[in-house]
Order: sequence, then C-alpha cells, then structure tokens
Amino acid sequence: VPCVSGGLPKPTNITFLSINMKNILQWNPPQGLQGVEVTYSVQYFIYGQKKWLNKSECRNISRTYCDLSAETSDYERQYYAKAKAIWGTNCSKWAETGRFYPFLETQIGPPEVALTTDGKSISIVLTAPKKWKKNPEESSISLEQIYSNLKYNVSVHNTKSNRTWSQCVTNRTLVFSWLEPDTLYCVLVESFVPGPPRLAQPSEKQCVSTLKDQASTLKVK
Amino acid sequence: LRRCLISMDMRRMEESFRGIKNAIQAKDTFQNVTILSTSETLHSIKPLDVCCVTKNLLAFYVDRVFKDHQELSPQILRKTSSIANSFLYMQKTLQRCQEQRLCHCRQEAINATRIIHDTYDQLEVRSAAIKSLGELDILLAWIEKNHQGTSAA
Amino acid sequence: DGVAALPAPQNLSVQSTNMKHVLTWSPVVVPEEIIHYSVEYQGEYESLYMSHIWIPSSWCSPTQGPECDITDDITATVPYSLRVRATLDSLTSAWSTLKHPFNRNSTVLTPPGMEITKDGFHLIIKLEDLGPQFEFFVAYWKREPGAKEHVKMVRRGGIPVHLETMEPGAAHCVKVRTFVKAIRRHSAFSQTECVKVQGETLPL
Repeated sequence: VPCVSGGLPKPTNITFLSINMKNILQWNPPQGLQGVEVTYSVQYFIYGQKKWLNKSECRNISRTYCDLSAETSDYERQYYAKAKAIWGTNCSKWAETGRFYPFLETQIGPPEVALTTDGKSISIVLTAPKKWKKNPEESSISLEQIYSNLKYNVSVHNTKSNRTWSQCVTNRTLVFSWLEPDTLYCVLVESFVPGPPRLAQPSEKQCVSTLKDQASTLKVK
Repeated sequence: LRRCLISMDMRRMEESFRGIKNAIQAKDTFQNVTILSTSETLHSIKPLDVCCVTKNLLAFYVDRVFKDHQELSPQILRKTSSIANSFLYMQKTLQRCQEQRLCHCRQEAINATRIIHDTYDQLEVRSAAIKSLGELDILLAWIEKNHQGTSAA
Repeated sequence: DGVAALPAPQNLSVQSTNMKHVLTWSPVVVPEEIIHYSVEYQGEYESLYMSHIWIPSSWCSPTQGPECDITDDITATVPYSLRVRATLDSLTSAWSTLKHPFNRNSTVLTPPGMEITKDGFHLIIKLEDLGPQFEFFVAYWKREPGAKEHVKMVRRGGIPVHLETMEPGAAHCVKVRTFVKAIRRHSAFSQTECVKVQGETLPL
C-alpha cells in the first residue's frame, strides 16, 4: 500500500561508510520521532544507468544501516543511494547521498603485520589488505591489484629511548637489524594510496623485545 | 615502446576538485547520463591509446567545458581556474610527446572521443558543462592511473 | 569622476621562495586615511580563452596591503597576470598590472633544513616541513674511500625517517635537496652532515 509521502521528516546524515570496498549505507533517524517505531526502505542508483533499484534486504528495516557492498562492487562506477522513513501509512521523502565513488573514497585498511625477532633484529612481513568479497569461497583480490601505487608507512617506537622513526615502503618485508639489546620495540603500520586524502586506519600496535646480551630467546608481547 | 608520461600537479587538481565536487554534482540533475563513465569510453581505453585520449580529453575540457560553464561565484571560479590552467600546462607537456611521435591516434581513441562529444552535445550546454565538471574525479583518477611517473617525455 | 582621483599602486613585484609567492607594491599614501587594496589574477587559461575574466585573490580582495600572499591563487605552472587597485571609501584608482606575468616555476628553492640523529645503530633524519608540494632527495654514504652513495626519496618533512643501519666505528654522512614535482625542479644540496657510531662491541 503506497504511503503518504512527506508525512514524516527525512532520515539525516545519510552517507556511505566504505572500508576496503565494503560499502555500508548509514543514516540517522529523522528528528523529532523519538520513541516512534520507524522503519526504513533503501534504493540505490548506478550513475549513468536508467533507474533507481530496490534493495530488497533493506525494505521495512528498523536498523539505520544497509550493506550495499554487492550492489556497488564495480569500484570504477559511481553511485547514489537513498533511504526513507516509514511509520504506518506515513513516510518521509527520500534522503539521498551525494555521488559515491568507491575507487576514490574507500578507506584503505591496514595490512596484516607479522613481527618476529631473532633477538637482535626485527623482521616485519606485511600482507596487503583485501577487497571486500561477497562470500568466503570467492578468490581474494588484494588492494595492491586495484591500487598499484599502494604504500605502507611503518613506524617503529623504541620504548627505551622513547624515539619513533618511520619508513615508507612498497615492498612487504623489511628487517631492522643491530637493535639495542633488552629493548621493547613497538610497530604500527598504515596503508596509504597517494592521491585524494582518505581516512587512515593504523594496524594494531605490536611489540617485541630484543634479548639481553647473553641468551637468545623469543619474547613477543 | 616508450610511453608518454606527462608531469602534472595531481595533488593540487584533486584538491581543487574536492572544493567544488558537492556544489557542482548537486547541480547535475541528470543522474541517468554520464559523459566519461560509459563502458565505451574511459573504462575500455587500451594503453596504446592513452596519450591520444588524454590529449583529446584535455582539449575537450579546455576548449569546451570550462568555457561553457560560465561560473560567477569566485570560490568556484578559483577552483575551476586552477584546474583549467593545470590542464593547459599538461597540454604543453603533452605537446612534447607529439613531437616525439608518442601520441598516435588510432580509430579506437577517435571513436571514444567522439562518443564523449556526442553525449555532451545531446545535453543543454550549461547542463553538459556542469556534468562534465562533476565528472572531473573520474578523469583525474584515469589520468593518474595511466600516467604514473614523474618525468615528462 | 571618482575612478582616477586616487593614484594607482606602483612598483608591483612578486617575491617567491619555496613555492610561497608574495605580491608587493608601493603603498598609496593619503594623509590620515586608510587605503584598501584589491588584488585580482588571471591565469594563462583566462587570458587565452576568457580575457574578460579576472579572479579576486583568495586573501586580498580587499586588504590593507601593501602586500598579498598569492600562494593559494597561483596553483598551476603557467604564467599568471596580476593587478592591484586602491580604494578609499567611494574613490577607486585605476588598475595597476604586474609588468611581466608570474610563473611559479621561477620560485627560489633553498636547500632544506635537516636534523640528523641516531637511535642506537640507526641513522634517523628529520627534514624541514615545507608543505605537501615538496619531496626530498636524500643522499647518504659511509665516510670511507670509494664508498657508494645511497639515495632515498622522502615524501614528507616533519617526521623522523629511518635512513639506514650503521656499522660501529664508521661515520655516516648525509646531504639532501628538495624536489618539487609540480615545477620539475630541485634545490641545491644542503651542507653535508656526518654522524659516527662509537665502536661499541656488537650485540651478541
């Protein structure tokens, strides 16, 4: 039954939250409807195509987000999405996003970081972040395949000297040798793509301790 | 085969575009029409045709789009002027590629360019200019992807 | 009429160092009055295709002058025409235009400041932050006859960057110059600085 459009205020702050091409449409509830059981419906539009398409899994939902990753997986295209609030036979006008361009706007997640030590040096092995995929069986696409200029900013903190230094690398293995003995070193890594600024997500901090001068045993904190 | 690498201030152009993206794209009400983003145009250009298509697209924007736009607001005018003058500079560096015969135009490149002009011509001129300006992010991303390298030919 | 009663500013010139561009002019003096100025610019594109268009400067339309930071206006490597006029209440002078259009590729590039330190056996460099246009070409070598010179491009100043792991007892030297991709020019090299790691015994 079609609802009366405009009877409700629109959802607000509707945007895409995109990380590694996992594209979630999110919005805030309409203002002034606290305590009202509002539901939402979502549509999306592929720029240059002909019409708005329903997202069936996000019809009459009560949550304020909708995963449109599958519908927006061609990252070289641009998209719009919109949501409206429904309550009984009343509904709001559509609240619409700006034009969303996944290739330029997705946040690049951190690489996986494997940190090992032989007691005197640290070796850091990075695994590139992966593009979102619909189901686990699909083969993974590394973001390095999409962004050939993807780089990593590795920062190392010497907890004894309280000094931090960084290194920008494109290769995924690096070794810092001749470290100070009996010292805890902590490592953070960020992926970045030269070009329009994107929100950065550093990796989890990982620390490893070099050994005292005598024995050679591994201690990873 | 040596490639034509043009040097450019991509960071500045992207920054200028970000300054006008929302305002310009909001004025583009024909969401069902795209000038650059069709499968026959930018997405299907082969490496061999990159130089010619770049040359043709820079000319398209310099000779048509920026002129047809007729912007009055200083804030937007500063940004489009920045991009227009950057395109002018890129045209000059591309000129050297042509002199070194690195910018041959095959039929595929000519066809792709014609589709862009034809789509532009089907819209009212101001709407076409606004749509083309709103698609500068597509062009800049394509140029950056296909012209990665610092030295000019 | 009011337009020509006020003299136009004179002696326009641009000083440009490390991609910071400042337009200066001789002030128009009217005793006990505050003169304001308006600055406008035209890139080569405007002069070729839209010669009637002059764009108000980002920061100096108006300004009390007599100078204007035009760095945010000169955003392409093409010649820019610049003009200034004075205003006093309803009085407005004629425009005074820079004699020769300014191109940012004429900017003076100075060798960057650098701070060389070591963290144990690790050679660390921190470069002067000159802004996003600047990359740094760092040359470093071990000070011994026939030593090979290594090179590293550093994209940003202002943060400590790891250059190399040093050998005990050896002195390691560094010099650096800037590179500005937008104008495809680099500065002269800085002074060379050397750091020595004491000949401590190697960690086991």
